[in-house]
Amino acid sequence: MKIVGIVGSNAEVSYNRTLLQYIKKQFDYLFELELIEIKDIPLFNQSNDQTKSVPIQNINRKIMQADGVIIATPEHNHTIPAALKSVLEWLSFNIHPLENKPVMIVGASYYDQGSSRAQLHLRQILNAPGVHAIVMPGNEFLLGKVKEAFDNKGDLKDKGTIEFLSSCLDKFVQFIKVVSVIEGPKKPALEPEDLYATGKIETTVEGVDMYADDWLEQAAEAVNAVEGDTYVKLDRGLLTVDQLNYFLASMPMELTFADSNNQFLYYNHTLPAEEMLASRNPGQVGNPLAKCHPQASFKNVEWVIQQLRSGELDAVRVNVPTHGPDKFVVHNYQAMHDKEGNYVGINEYILDFQPIIDWYLKQTGKTLEGGADGVSGASASDHAEESDAVSGASVREEDEVMDAVSGASVKG
Amino acid sequence: MTTLIGLVGTNSDYSTNRKLLQFIQRHFTEKSEMEIVEIRDLPLFNKPQDKTIPEAVQLLADKIEAADGVIISTPEYDHSVPASLINALNWLSYGIYPFVDKPVMITGASYGTLGSSRAQLHLRQILDAPELRARIMPSSEFLLSHSLQAFTDENTLIDNEQIEKLEGLFEDFLKFINITAQLNHAHDLNKREAENFSWERV
Repeated sequence: MKIVGIVGSNAEVSYNRTLLQYIKKQFDYLFELELIEIKDIPLFNQSNDQTKSVPIQNINRKIMQADGVIIATPEHNHTIPAALKSVLEWLSFNIHPLENKPVMIVGASYYDQGSSRAQLHLRQILNAPGVHAIVMPGNEFLLGKVKEAFDNKGDLKDKGTIEFLSSCLDKFVQFIKVVSVIEGPKKPALEPEDLYATGKIETTVEGVDMYADDWLEQAAEAVNAVEGDTYVKLDRGLLTVDQLNYFLASMPMELTFADSNNQFLYYNHTLPAEEMLASRNPGQVGNPLAKCHPQASFKNVEWVIQQLRSGELDAVRVNVPTHGPDKFVVHNYQAMHDKEGNYVGINEYILDFQPIIDWYLKQTGKTLEGGADGVSGASASDHAEESDAVSGASVREEDEVMDAVSGASVKG
Repeated sequence: MTTLIGLVGTNSDYSTNRKLLQFIQRHFTEKSEMEIVEIRDLPLFNKPQDKTIPEAVQLLADKIEAADGVIISTPEYDHSVPASLINALNWLSYGIYPFVDKPVMITGASYGTLGSSRAQLHLRQILDAPELRARIMPSSEFLLSHSLQAFTDENTLIDNEQIEKLEGLFEDFLKFINITAQLNHAHDLNKREAENFSWERV
């Protein structure tokens, strides 16, 4: 379950931030909590619509994708801070991500009332027609005298408080499930993907034909790319470009990098195309993804990218059973993100799991239930079962995705 | 003559609350001298550790301090006061206390039927906070609903009943300012308490 936690203060020091950080850490078994900061959101002004600005769109996207929202509010002048009100005004002006979203309110404050008045105002605000959130009733978590509430590791000290918070959060998880029954499944339609990479992102090299066989050489010249024994500083280490190449070439899998503009930028080139699990040619580097796949598979390629870009899935795994009974080849599509959590592209790594499974069985002396057949997957029906087991995340779309992938590897 | 500040409770370029204050300013020109002030140039409040007050805020505070009373006209956004007005009040109670014991009258205009009724209730509670401590005129409410249709082309209120009500409330407000001036026994203490107030010591 994915929850976002809005830090309702734009102040440098905020105990409401501490409280959310504590919830994230302490209750990670209940849900995955992502904290959202509001300090970059401008003051709402209906005469200067900034709905389309990056910080507002980021918050919008994160809330849309979350199963629920926890708002931690301080109290200023008997109400919520201007910065938090401003965010809610942006999110009820031309976009409405909180509509029908389960919301839980918590609050910390210096005095013993623990933001009680601000929480009441916040409930009324969230009930307004433009916001239309579904706020969990009762279960008011007011953390008063907050300066004494946490130890120096940022953990709540009082056992009773922890138990009460725990029960509130348990109920919130239940509440989300109940609301989803009332509201029914309503996933927002995902944006279409531009597989021809006609857009551009900050790192796109302009003025070089993406379709050219020597795109790499031209693009490298255009950006003065370093190579050979030049050092590159990494997080965290220092390697020359040569060392980086040795390192990536030694990875026991085929690695492919496609950026968020759907441009194929890199693969660890060690084998000729025909010996690869999914063939790639040196001349393909730089191509838009549309050029790397047959048209019949575009819908499926798009589906995979949509899942990763939207955060609906972190990874899509697909077993491709066309390599014979001795291999268990899996295409892994892993979303990549920058430090702020923005989608930056796909890491596709393809490897044969079979040697790993064999090694594991040999080392541990264990056997697989159902005997060797289950492992080797000799028959077609076994393949189907195994691929389901591996790619649990995408069971529904299994067949479609599989087509997309095998199509891709055939085309090369 | 009584000096008033008319505080436009929004940063929007177009506002019927601004229009309402302009009407009040003109209509009662023989009874009071009112200056209309804006909040749109104030930066977003972020509780700066060093308690530095932006110049625009200090200017506003000085004007409120010097006036006999303040009329705040608020729209309603999401059942409450606009962020821009909360923002102004956050600044005007952060190490400065121009509202302590200041007579305040609340008016509000809205496009819909309810005339900012919920926002006005919130505003009363906000102005009651320990660092603001305004003297809000009790039992008075001026709600201007359907405000887009409420003014003539010359920006005069169309509805005579509304004008009559406003005249009554305004007269009361002037009296209220006088009465409040006599409620000065606790003023020094109130001011001191607001200045020394700290949520960390409550």
